[in-house]
Amino acid sequence: MIQFERFTLNNGLKVLFHKDPTTPLAVVNTLYDVGARDEDPDKTGFAHLFEHLMFGGSVNIPDFDKPLQFAGGESNAFTSNDITNYYDVLPAQNIETALWLESDRMLSLAFTAKSLETQRSVVIEEFKQRYLNQPYGDVWLELRPLAYETHPYQWATIGKEIKHIEEATMQDVKDFFRAHYCPNNAILCIAGDFELNQIKTLVEKWFGEIPSQEKYVRNLPIEAVQKEFKQKTIERKVPSDAFYYAFKMPARKDPDYHTADIISDAIGGDKSSRLYQAILKKAKLVSEINAYITGSLDQGLFLITGKLAPGKSFEDLDAALWLELDKINHLHMETKELERLKNKIQTAKEFQEQGLLNRAMNLSFHELLGDANGINTEKDSYKNITPEAIHRVSNQLFRKENCSLLKVKAI
Amino acid sequence: MLDRTISPAIHDIEKIHFVEPKIYPLQHETKLFLMKEVFDETVRIEFHFQAGAIQGVKNAANFVNSLLFSGTKDKSSTQIHEELDQLGAYLDQEISSEKAFVSVYCLRKNVEKVLDIVHDSITNVAFLEHELSDMIQEKKQRLLVSLEKVNFLARKAFQQHLFASNEVYRRQLEPEDFDQIKIEDLKAFHREFYLNGLSKIVVVSNLEEAIINRIVEQFKGWSNTTTKTYETKFNNNKGTFHITKKDAIQTAIRIGLPMFNKKDEDFIDFQFLQTIFGDYFGSRLMSNIREDKGYTYGIGCSLVETKLTGYFVIATEVAKEVSEATLTEIKYEIDRLQTEPIPADELNLVKNYLVGQLLKSADGPNSMMDMFLSVYDYQLPLDFYANYLRKIKDMKSETIQKLAKKYLNWSDFTIITAG
Repeated sequence: MIQFERFTLNNGLKVLFHKDPTTPLAVVNTLYDVGARDEDPDKTGFAHLFEHLMFGGSVNIPDFDKPLQFAGGESNAFTSNDITNYYDVLPAQNIETALWLESDRMLSLAFTAKSLETQRSVVIEEFKQRYLNQPYGDVWLELRPLAYETHPYQWATIGKEIKHIEEATMQDVKDFFRAHYCPNNAILCIAGDFELNQIKTLVEKWFGEIPSQEKYVRNLPIEAVQKEFKQKTIERKVPSDAFYYAFKMPARKDPDYHTADIISDAIGGDKSSRLYQAILKKAKLVSEINAYITGSLDQGLFLITGKLAPGKSFEDLDAALWLELDKINHLHMETKELERLKNKIQTAKEFQEQGLLNRAMNLSFHELLGDANGINTEKDSYKNITPEAIHRVSNQLFRKENCSLLKVKAI
Repeated sequence: MLDRTISPAIHDIEKIHFVEPKIYPLQHETKLFLMKEVFDETVRIEFHFQAGAIQGVKNAANFVNSLLFSGTKDKSSTQIHEELDQLGAYLDQEISSEKAFVSVYCLRKNVEKVLDIVHDSITNVAFLEHELSDMIQEKKQRLLVSLEKVNFLARKAFQQHLFASNEVYRRQLEPEDFDQIKIEDLKAFHREFYLNGLSKIVVVSNLEEAIINRIVEQFKGWSNTTTKTYETKFNNNKGTFHITKKDAIQTAIRIGLPMFNKKDEDFIDFQFLQTIFGDYFGSRLMSNIREDKGYTYGIGCSLVETKLTGYFVIATEVAKEVSEATLTEIKYEIDRLQTEPIPADELNLVKNYLVGQLLKSADGPNSMMDMFLSVYDYQLPLDFYANYLRKIKDMKSETIQKLAKKYLNWSDFTIITAG
């Protein structure tokens, strides 16, 4: 059980506090309810570019990193299609430094021209390094628009193209900040060896006066139910052919989400998984095969991906794969197999709870889903999965008309 | 009225709390290290073997490490993995130049059964032909993908030139090697470097004494019986070497030279120097090449320790058009370290940052275990860290300058660009 307390400031800031008396460190985690899905389709890559700018100095503090390093701490952040998450880790006795820094950049950024220019270049290099200069690096830039025709998930966090980042203006950036970076759009989680009243006092001191803004109302284009199979083939200079089958799956808060998750483990999570055994070990059609889910807040994707073995064709793999998926759709999973999957999940969750930072981030994320206590009750969601649920959800997932297929042909 | 321009007070960190692991001898020099400060049901066990890439016949180390759970004469790899998965266990296998590791992650309630499977699988691995060919296929594909990446090509070339004086440290997997594997070589390697090559067992879990004794009894037969030799000093090829990668839009850069490990009297001071230079977000390299010029998404350096020596390396990937400019800036930053004293506020910032990092690396049972082994493996006492803390706090800019002049001469470096 991960214990925590929760309170809300007048300006709408939700605050979580998790006490851990065993560590000399403290974590200050700030989750903003904004991600790539909230971008304008002609101005993509902004949420991520913005994450970089958050380190470029705030209205009262010209340099974010130095004061934190001086306090013996460090910081990082990440952006996804759904959220932007910032975290600071530092010696507990210096926690006030982190609160001072985080509250000031929530209040307002410095918005210097130099910061925008530098981070623009840095993000462009990141785009190249991770997506363009790697074999198979641009797969997600192709797969997303294939799977999602109207929903903003059709573009990746890095952006649709480098041009959007090149053309971002200071006004664009300021507008983005005003719309999304305010206390009523954020969840703050503090973890470490403190007392609740101490944390309440400090948080009220630094965050209490930050004005709330008009709450951003999310009104995203809805992706119509997929009614037909879609596919695309691209040619790339890569060592082997690769395949990416993307099936539409339940959103994060949907009651069937955890069932879809466990199905991904069952069919392609590890070396005893069904696809690994049937398609790699027995049929030798692939040199690797995996199944995993995107875990997004809106309707997600269930992926089956891999690389063809030399001399094998997409057609052979396709036939074998649908055969296996058909078997799964007719399956009534045995208790033993289900127990095996649940046992692995149990071990993984136990290890995840070890790090202070992991706990703080997960508490914040579950609070975004509706209740931070989800971090504790999620175990039950997995425990309670039945073979019937697996049968039902598999049959919804593994239909050809629910599938978007990207094939990468090696040239 | 709250004044946001004034930073809150910073509190000094005076000392750092360590817990030492308990040590249980196996046989000969091999020992088990136990960290019990774990307040949950997790178990992490790491088996260390002297089965690194420098040992035995070329590439045997790599293939054997991958095949450890590929099946015995009684159980297929599928069965082994199913049994381990049924117990909710995760496995990891890793290999470096000098060592090999097998890591096991599970919950306390299953540890005995999991270890029985691990012991049987590794002791009785049969090296079956079809398992070998599956592994070859997988590895070959991964290698071919890696060979398309500039950072991999740079690392490969760096290894060639940094370890110019020692052939076994230069060993790397090449696509041609896959056709030349002989099962007899793999079996011989396995016997010598796994079944007689266990150098330590690391346990992080709240396990009872009886279980620990069981582990000792079960695995002590693998204890290594012979001492192996390791390099004491590398001689690198100095100068610039370029690897061409057609159509690359970024260039990977690796720059480095032989150095030392924590037994050297300059180690702690050099750690401070290399942190200022490139081992934190506000470093000279990051501030210049990323934050000022925007040439890269990341640049850094580190001091890498080997068993008896070490080396220093600077690494980055930059836009192709600015690769020459990046080399110029790196050299410029080295010159600055040698000619300009570090300003007091930067020195103090890095002091505080390093103390914070030390605190972080002593936080939690896994970190404390790593900290302990980090000095134990070099036959140093744990008060190394008290000394470390003191040296950091007392650091003077003259020391940094002196060290930069002593160790960072551009003409001594191996400089690799790939792209």
